[in-house]
Amino acid sequence: MVDVEKLKEIARETVSRDDVKYLIGWRQGSFGFRAAPHFVNKPEDTDKLIFSPLCSHNLATFLTLAEKLPVPRGQEPDSRKIALMVKGCDSRAVVLQLAEKGISREGIYVIGCPCRGVVDQKKVEAKYPEMGESVTAEWGKETIIFDLPSGREEVPREEILAGKCITCRYPNPLIADAGAWEEVAVWGTDDYADVKEVEAGNPQERWDFWEDKFASCIRCYSCRNVCPMCYCEDCVLDRLNPEWVMRSVNTTENTAFHLARAFHLAGRCIECGECERVCPVDIPLMKLNRKLTKEVREKFEYEPGVDPEAKPLPASYRPDDKEDFIL
Amino acid sequence: MEIIKLSKDKFADFLASLSEGEQKLYAPQWVGESLRFAPVTDSSKVELGMANTTVPPKSIFFPQTETLYRYELGGTEMQQPQVRDTGVVLGARPCDARALVIVDNLFNWDLEDPYYNEQRVKNTVVGLACNNPCANCFCPSVGGDPASTEGLDVLMTELEDVYLLQPLTEKGQKLCQSVAAVTEKAAAGDQDAAENLHQQAREQVARKIETEGIPENLPKLWENTLWQETANSCLGCGICTFLCPTCHCFDIQDEVEGIEGRRCRMWDSCMFKEYTLHASGHNPRPTRRERTRNRINHKYSYFVDKFDVIACVGCGRCINYCPVNIDILEILQQAKEAL
Repeated sequence: MVDVEKLKEIARETVSRDDVKYLIGWRQGSFGFRAAPHFVNKPEDTDKLIFSPLCSHNLATFLTLAEKLPVPRGQEPDSRKIALMVKGCDSRAVVLQLAEKGISREGIYVIGCPCRGVVDQKKVEAKYPEMGESVTAEWGKETIIFDLPSGREEVPREEILAGKCITCRYPNPLIADAGAWEEVAVWGTDDYADVKEVEAGNPQERWDFWEDKFASCIRCYSCRNVCPMCYCEDCVLDRLNPEWVMRSVNTTENTAFHLARAFHLAGRCIECGECERVCPVDIPLMKLNRKLTKEVREKFEYEPGVDPEAKPLPASYRPDDKEDFIL
Repeated sequence: MEIIKLSKDKFADFLASLSEGEQKLYAPQWVGESLRFAPVTDSSKVELGMANTTVPPKSIFFPQTETLYRYELGGTEMQQPQVRDTGVVLGARPCDARALVIVDNLFNWDLEDPYYNEQRVKNTVVGLACNNPCANCFCPSVGGDPASTEGLDVLMTELEDVYLLQPLTEKGQKLCQSVAAVTEKAAAGDQDAAENLHQQAREQVARKIETEGIPENLPKLWENTLWQETANSCLGCGICTFLCPTCHCFDIQDEVEGIEGRRCRMWDSCMFKEYTLHASGHNPRPTRRERTRNRINHKYSYFVDKFDVIACVGCGRCINYCPVNIDILEILQQAKEAL
């Protein structure tokens, strides 16, 4: 469990350090059951920090999203660290970003936040449709407690947890420089039931399922942009010459986009579920990502972002890798 | 013009008479997992009970991808796209309809856009007054109203057992006549009931912003830290602009498959890295700070300067759907405090 006051204290110490540029945490959102990323530059800004079941955002995204502007002549680049708070799932992104050399270990300072699961916005908004002013939430024992305008309400955790949290096997951060909290017990098991459900269909049924979903995509690229593992500076989807994926928004091009996105995450998706959370048209992207995760686990006994010593999958050839699925 | 009413049990017949002949009927329906305007093929799928659709009805008038003309590689002829059918857009919320009037300015500014205008002329917009504004609605703050008639041909209000239909334009009048068989004259009491609901809705709108002074002063905050603070958590995705009923930026691309080519225009977003990226490689808005600043300034200042109206109708979509809770009302509030 995380003591939020302790967390703020650590945050204050962290941002006061000379070698830290800023700290990224969460704050309460502007309405309803929302939290928001919070960038802390000064010790007094830490007052707004929260850590609650509303903190879905994987802040590791902001490590690779940070814009590097050209350094003016005569000036040294700012090499101070970026400090960030991570839940268990978020920490897997940091571990893999490091393994892939997308970020450097000296450039970050990680504050670990053992997590008891975050809420699914859609589930909680369906439960309390009269959403209005900002509602805070906290963890109870096996429950989530909301401070609604009508009073406190305690909801069984499994009723409103995000899908990724129901199957979560890594609630505790796998990498951290600070964080003095009690670890939480692992509650989830993952049998890939959601993937198996789609796999059970015949090819036509599966095609129909995805065609319907992809047809509704509006190509806002929020799934790509929010993904902590999608950090190519020059994305294949932005290319105009050759235009690998046409800008036309139709089922064919949308499908090409989603398959490209999923393939580029094969063996790299750390299952933070952010893509699915942010999708404005509710495409079940995690089913697609997890299909590939399942394949990778079965074929290579590999799970991304769980072992800080491990190489990324595409860089970890072993002579005894299975070949029985190669045509 | 005479106000009529439609009994809810005749709703399917009403839809059938609206889609008679070549006329296309668009109404909110679930497409995949999201609510949006789509051609009606099955009247039972029409969903008027929800608040705003995810994607605004601007997509009918200004489709996300629109073919301007087709050509064949090596040829010299341009083939015009098909002539569009006339249509009815049923269930547009007053904010979304008002957005059309705002966007009309842009598409009739230096050039009268034939594609957009054709759709505007050929479609009749039947609005549905909001009886229950959402948490992030703020239409009254930007000149709208839950029962605004701007941009509508007919205003529909849902009462307990009936829909009240108030024709507002000639097109609206014609539409009301075409459904005479399934409707009847409204009673005086019905109209009072509708006005009561409109008033109640007005009072229910919780979020507000006082816009006075913003348009002329916003550019003064050019170098304010507010933009960097907002941009810090911005992902640079297209949700806020694509789901915005007044955002109208587009890009034009030639797309070729085999020897068949088409020139298309598609929605563009000022939040994208490649937006107005120059061929030289120079980007006039190199980071999300400049892009965020542009989005807010465009809506609340530049557009006002040019067309004397704020390019925001207060539908709340950008607030509802932003993955990182960037809230336009908070930004405006901060701007006001900084001024």
